[in-house]
Parts: sequence; C-alpha cells; structure tokens
Amino acid sequence: MGVSFVRVYKANCNKLFLDNMVNENLVKDVVKEPYKYGFVTDIETEKIEKGLNEDIIKLISQKKEEPRFLLDFRLKAFKKWQKMKEPDWAALGYKKIDYQDIIYYSAPKQKEKISSLDEVDPKLLETFDKLGIPLTEQKKLTNVAVDAVFDSVSIATTFREELAKHGVIFCSISEAVKNHADLIEKYLGTVVPASDNYFAALNSAVFSDGSFVYIPKGVTCPMDLSSYFRINSGDTGQFERTLIIAEESSSVSYLEGCTAPMFDTNTLHAAVVELIALDDASIKYSTVQNWYAGDEEGVGGIFNFVTKRGKCLGKRSKISWSQVETGSAITWKYPSCLLLGEESVGEFYSVALTNNLQQADTGTKMIHIGPKTKSTIVSKGISAGNSKNSYRGLVKMGTKATGSRNYSQCDSMLIGDQASANTFPYIKSQQPNSEIEHEASTCRISEDQLFYLQSRGIEFEEAVSMMVSGFCRDVFNQLPMEFAAEADKLLALKLEGSVG
Amino acid sequence: MEIIEKIKTNKSIDNQTEIQKICLDKLQSSPLPNPRSEQWRLSNKSKLSNFLDYSVNENNSKFDIPYPKNSQNNIRLIIGENCQIKLIEKNYSIRQLSEDELQKYIKEQISCFNQNENWSDLLNLSLSCKNNILGLKINGSKIPPIEIFSYASSNSLNAKTLIIFLEKNCNVELLQVNLGEDTSSLSQSTFFCLEENSSLNHGVVSFGINKSNLLNSLNVIQQKNSEYNLGSLHFKFNYARFEIRIKQSEGNAKTNIKGMQITKKDEQISTYTKIDFDGPNGFLDQINKSLADDKSHAIFEGSIIVPKIAQKTDASQLSRNLLLSNRAQIDTKPQLEIIADDVKCKHGATISQLNEEELFYMRTRGITLTEASKLQLSSYFQEIISFIPVSKDRWDLLDQLLNEN
Repeated sequence: MGVSFVRVYKANCNKLFLDNMVNENLVKDVVKEPYKYGFVTDIETEKIEKGLNEDIIKLISQKKEEPRFLLDFRLKAFKKWQKMKEPDWAALGYKKIDYQDIIYYSAPKQKEKISSLDEVDPKLLETFDKLGIPLTEQKKLTNVAVDAVFDSVSIATTFREELAKHGVIFCSISEAVKNHADLIEKYLGTVVPASDNYFAALNSAVFSDGSFVYIPKGVTCPMDLSSYFRINSGDTGQFERTLIIAEESSSVSYLEGCTAPMFDTNTLHAAVVELIALDDASIKYSTVQNWYAGDEEGVGGIFNFVTKRGKCLGKRSKISWSQVETGSAITWKYPSCLLLGEESVGEFYSVALTNNLQQADTGTKMIHIGPKTKSTIVSKGISAGNSKNSYRGLVKMGTKATGSRNYSQCDSMLIGDQASANTFPYIKSQQPNSEIEHEASTCRISEDQLFYLQSRGIEFEEAVSMMVSGFCRDVFNQLPMEFAAEADKLLALKLEGSVG
Repeated sequence: MEIIEKIKTNKSIDNQTEIQKICLDKLQSSPLPNPRSEQWRLSNKSKLSNFLDYSVNENNSKFDIPYPKNSQNNIRLIIGENCQIKLIEKNYSIRQLSEDELQKYIKEQISCFNQNENWSDLLNLSLSCKNNILGLKINGSKIPPIEIFSYASSNSLNAKTLIIFLEKNCNVELLQVNLGEDTSSLSQSTFFCLEENSSLNHGVVSFGINKSNLLNSLNVIQQKNSEYNLGSLHFKFNYARFEIRIKQSEGNAKTNIKGMQITKKDEQISTYTKIDFDGPNGFLDQINKSLADDKSHAIFEGSIIVPKIAQKTDASQLSRNLLLSNRAQIDTKPQLEIIADDVKCKHGATISQLNEEELFYMRTRGITLTEASKLQLSSYFQEIISFIPVSKDRWDLLDQLLNEN
C-alpha cells in the first residue's frame, strides 16, 4: 500500500497553501464515492403497525416471549421517555422525528426456530454474503464468531459450540433473556439506566434485539466476536441493545459493523451498548459504522443516535473503544467509560469522516471516579463537502480520583472550504492530585507532503488517500487486524477509489 | 421579574434615558439569563441572585484610589466622578463623546445583542445613568498612559459603562481597575472600537474586598491592521464573571490575551471569551490561567469562531489550571468552530497541581516548601502580570498575590 512514506501524519499545521496546486473540483471528485451497500433484500418480513404506545411495547414483549421483569423494565422506560424532551444541544440540525411514524418491530419471516444455518432464508445469507460477512461456519479460517442482526432481529450466531467449550456465552439478547435471565436481570440497565437520555429511554422501551456476551472468570475469549447490523426496511427503526459482561481476569475483543440500504426517508437507529468489566478484565469494542449516509443533496440516510457506555467496575479493568464512523446522515454518539475501579483504564480511539451533507457530533466521556484511573482519547475528524463534524468530549476527575491521569488529543482535517470542524472539550476537575491534558488542532492536507508524494510519481488521489490514512494511523493501529484493513478500505472508498 | 421591578422603582420612568428604556424592554422578555445555556450553566445561581440583591446606587460616594499617583504624567479617570475631560495637546487629543455619538453607538451595539450572551450588557445599560457612562474618543500619538477606575460602594449595586474609540493610527496604553468594596456588586461594561492601524495595550485588574461581586463585560471591535493586547487579573470576589467578546470585523488584525483568575474560600470566578474572525489573516494568541484553592470554583470557557471568510487565520488558545485543594473545582472548555479550511487553529488545556519534581528539586537545595511553592507560583503568575500594562509596577500585584498564597 506504500503508506510508509507518510508514517504518522503530524497535524502541526504548517502553512498550507493548497489552492494553487489543487484543483478544487478534483478534491470534490475524490471525496465522491457511491455507497455500495445500498441494496434492499427482497425478503418477507413480519412487521407490526406503526406507532408507539404501551400496547405496542406489550406486543413486542409478547412476541419475544419475555419474562415479566423485562416488560416492566420496558414500560417503566416508556413512561420516562414520555416525560422527556428530545435534546437539542448538539451542533446538529435535522427535521423533527415523528416517533409515531416508525415501525418498532420488524423481523424476517422464517421458521419458528432455527437450529442450524441451513434453515435460514437463503436470501438472507445472500445478503450477508454481499456484505462480505462470513456467516457460514465453513469459513472457519476467518476465526471470527458472528452475530448478524437483520432489521430488528438476530438471525444467526456462528461458532457457538466452540465458544461454549470455553464457557463463553455469545448469543442474541432475546435468547439470553430466555436462557440467562438472571444475568440480564442483574446487569441490564446498570450502565445506561433507562432514564439516562431521551434515546436510551426509547431504546429501553422498544429494543428488539442485539447481542449478548458473557466471558466467565479467567477466560480469554478464543476468537474475536463480531456482530453485523443491517437495516433493510425503510420505515423501520432499529433499536438494538448490546450487553457485554467480562468477569474477573477475562478478556474479549468485540467488533461491530453496520450497513443499510438506500432510502429517501430517514431511518432512526437508536442503540444502547453496555459494557461491564470486573477486576482485571478487559473489553475492546471496535465499530466500523457505515450506515447509509443519504445522497449528495442530503436526502435520506440513517439517524444514528447511539448511547454506548462501559463501566470499569473492577480493579485494573480496562475498556477500550475504537471506532471508524463514516456513514449515517447524522451521527450523535459518545462511547464513554465510567472508571470506578482502582487503576482502571479507559481508552477511546476514533476516526469520524463526514462528507456531503453528513453531520456528526461525536466524542467520548471519561468519568474518573476511582483512584489511579487512566484514560486516553485520540480523535481524528475529517470533514469534506458541506459536512459538519464536531468532537464533543467530557473528562471529569471526581473527588476520589487521586493520582488519575487523562490525555486527550483531537485533530481535525478539513477538505474544501464548505465543511466545518468543531471541537468542544468539557474538562472538569475536582481532584488536585490528578492531571488532565488536552490538545487539539485543525489543519488541511499539507501542501508539502502532497508535493513530495506527487514528485515521486504518486497520483494526486492516491496521495490524498495516503495522507488521510496516515492522519488516522494512530487510531487504525488500535483496530483489530480484520477491521483495520476494512476501515482503511472504507475511508479510501469514501475519499477516493484507489487506495488500499 | 424582581430585577426589573428594582430598576423601575429606582427612578421614575421620565428620568430614564432612551437606552435604558430599550434595554429594560429587552430584559422584560427574559429577566434572567437561561440557566441551562452554555454561557450560564455553571454559574452559581444563588451567587448571581446575591449579586442582584443590593439596591441600585447611582450616586458616587468619595472614592480613595488605592495607590498614590506617581510622578508620571498619566491620565487618571474615575467613572462617575470627573467625567468632564477634554485634552487637546500637540500630539494627541482625548475628548468626550457627544450624547448623540454615544446613543448611536450603543444602539448599534444593542441591535446585535443576543439576549443570553449579552445579558450582562443589557443589565448594565439598563442600570447605568448618564453620569456613570464615560465615552472617549482618542486620537494622535505619544499619548500618556491612561488609568480608568470603576468601583462599587458597600451594600449597593453599581453600574459603570466605558466606551472608547481609538481613531486611526493611534497607540494607547490603558489600565482599567475595577474595585468592589465590602458586600457590593459592580456591573462594568466596556466597549472598544479600534480603527485601522490603531493599537491598544489594555490591562484589567479587578479585585474585591469581602463578599464583593462583579459582572465585567468587555466588547472589542477591531478593524483591519489593529492590534489589541489584553492582560487581565481577577481575584478576591465572592462571585465574578468576566466576559470577553472580540470581533475582528475585517480580519487582518492581531489579538493577544493573557488572563488569570484566582479563587479561594467559596468564591466563584469565571471567564468567558468569544473571538469572532470576520475576515482573513486574523491572529490570536490566548492564554488563560486559573488557580483554585479551598472550596472555590474557577471556570474558563473560550470559543473561537472561524467562518469561511476567515481564511489563513492563525489562532491558538491555551487554558492552564492549577487545582490546589481537594474541595476546589475547575471547569474548562476551550472550543473551536471552524469552517475555513486554510487555517492554523489549535487549543490546549491542562489541569494539575504544583509540579512535585520541581518542588523536590528546590527543597534538596535547601529552599523550604513554602518558599518553593511561592517561587513556583510566582513564575506561574509572572507571565500574566508582566503583560498588564502601565501601572502594574506600582501595584506590587505579585507580592500581594503571593502573600495570600
């Protein structure tokens, strides 16, 4: 790929004069690339009617044969949601969402119970094949266990037996509700309470499926776990819920990928992800988010309003978020860490790329509660076209967080003079014996580096792509192998066609 | 509504100036700032209401300047007292703005006010009577340093307004001192307009005595090739809020800001800055320092706005904070909003305590812990204090600060 020329791109903002060298249109061409996951699978689905009220929630709960405690949880959340107001503090602008015009449950029609993948609708499998997701267990070489969520329902989870040998539970959350109700009851809503925010409350009331992972004491999960979310219907909201519990001294790496077809309407995706790490446990959560972003005029696209939070409960526990955000018309999410346990560690590595009329307000919250906790934030934002890309982060040192440290770095790159890049870091300290460092910079593609690459015979598009790739290197290095390649490819796709 | 009533009962409607009427009218719709807005979210509500508790005082009692006038030929003005000034010398002239000029300018300003953001100004202008508004037009060169005092007398709420026009090619050094007596509230609004090629070295030193409150707002418009340097220091206030709004209206201007706030006991002092670059080639270098001790709370929020027109802007903002006590807290939020792509913008923030290694080093050389901390603090303060122009030497600010720490 030849990125060795660039190595880590230093965003030190030298004097940059791109105008004379670069044809503006060329940049525009480079950042234009069609969305390749925009197809719709023609598959029979079972949907319930549009709208949201107590009866709908009862119906969802009934369809999923849920125990009483979960229905109560949903209804309580719904009551809270009704009293809440949709927040408007983010630097985002969008048309008001009509919550009564959304279908809250849509499942591919299939046989009552699936015992093996053979029984899954072949069209569905075809879809996942198109997405390049190895759903069939034959593809053992990839060594990634996959949980695929189609519209609202989990379709198939692979490698289950292999995982069971190690005591790892990896299944859809509906299954977990049936088979591991005690764990669900104990942990669900403990990290993101139903009343946390507007979209979390909505999710708590209507969540349809998602993934559940439980890693028992002392187990290092033998393979990466992965879930793929696919929205297929145009009028369905997707409300999945993920819950990962890592017991003492266990560790797991979890990957999440998302795609959706192209529709003229906006589809709401309001997920909740909860992670819990006990003593010495570590969880690595990686996301490559590529929901449909709408067309060049900003018509259609997914509203990605997600609440992701991890709780480092145990001593020396660690939660690491890495994300590559390239899709969605609007992204609004802050994967966060509550650092409670002594010496626990939180990490956040993010690349957010926005193009055309996309908007993103994303970042993280690192709440240091326990002593000697540490956190690192590295955020890279790239804005092109008419897009808006904001980093919003909170670092808080509580009164008991003695000897804690935080380091944050947010760099933004602007491509074209219509895009905007904002940085809103909130920093709060109540503990003198702690250190917080934050730095941020904004720049454009360096003329010198571009010239250097071009003088060595590298095409303009490729040079731009390499530099973007170099700019994001700090984050890509944190992604699992499989995802790093995918992320690189994705950025290249979004920005041009040839890198990779 | 209380505040509105208070302003109204203070004087009969007939006595109100047009400006006061306009501002009152604006305040009617939202008498208090929105406590949920970014600018007011962290402000201590009970302290703010305490600020408004005192009765409005328009008469100025005798005021003793806290330090003697030295031999230097500087010009000293006290807002509310010797408001008559007309100095026409060989090289320069300082004259008072006429009633019409004042009205016109203030009205222009009010028309671009944002209810929440400029609440302090609205309050100030609705309270400030004619006597307490000082408007100056300065022209020429070799102008002696100027000192301007505002003060609030005990048990009262005082409003003072200062408006200064710097005409083309003029250089001025100006020290503004805001003093609050025991249990007093001072609302100070300042408006500067820097015309082409002018430069202003501006110092703001504000300190109170006991339970003094301050709402200090500073609005600066910089035309092209102007330079504005601000050194500011706020300390010893039960509640103080320093709002800085700077607009480089055509770009090509330079702004340097070095500010510091020191909080102790249960004080709350905050600094809000908003820098608008409305043209290309703007320059900003800003550093804000806070020191919080005891149960106090220091806040800094700074925003830099770079629209598309402001290409080749070079802006940096740094927030450095020292947290010295377990019960104190510091909030800081440097923020960048950028649309122009050919810019250099960066910001940084740190919160920590005194450097232990440095303390240890000094102690191994026989310096006591107290001395060593003082040395460290003095270097921390010195960067800001040396930037405050004019009379800074006579203030012995550093000593005053160090003795308290």
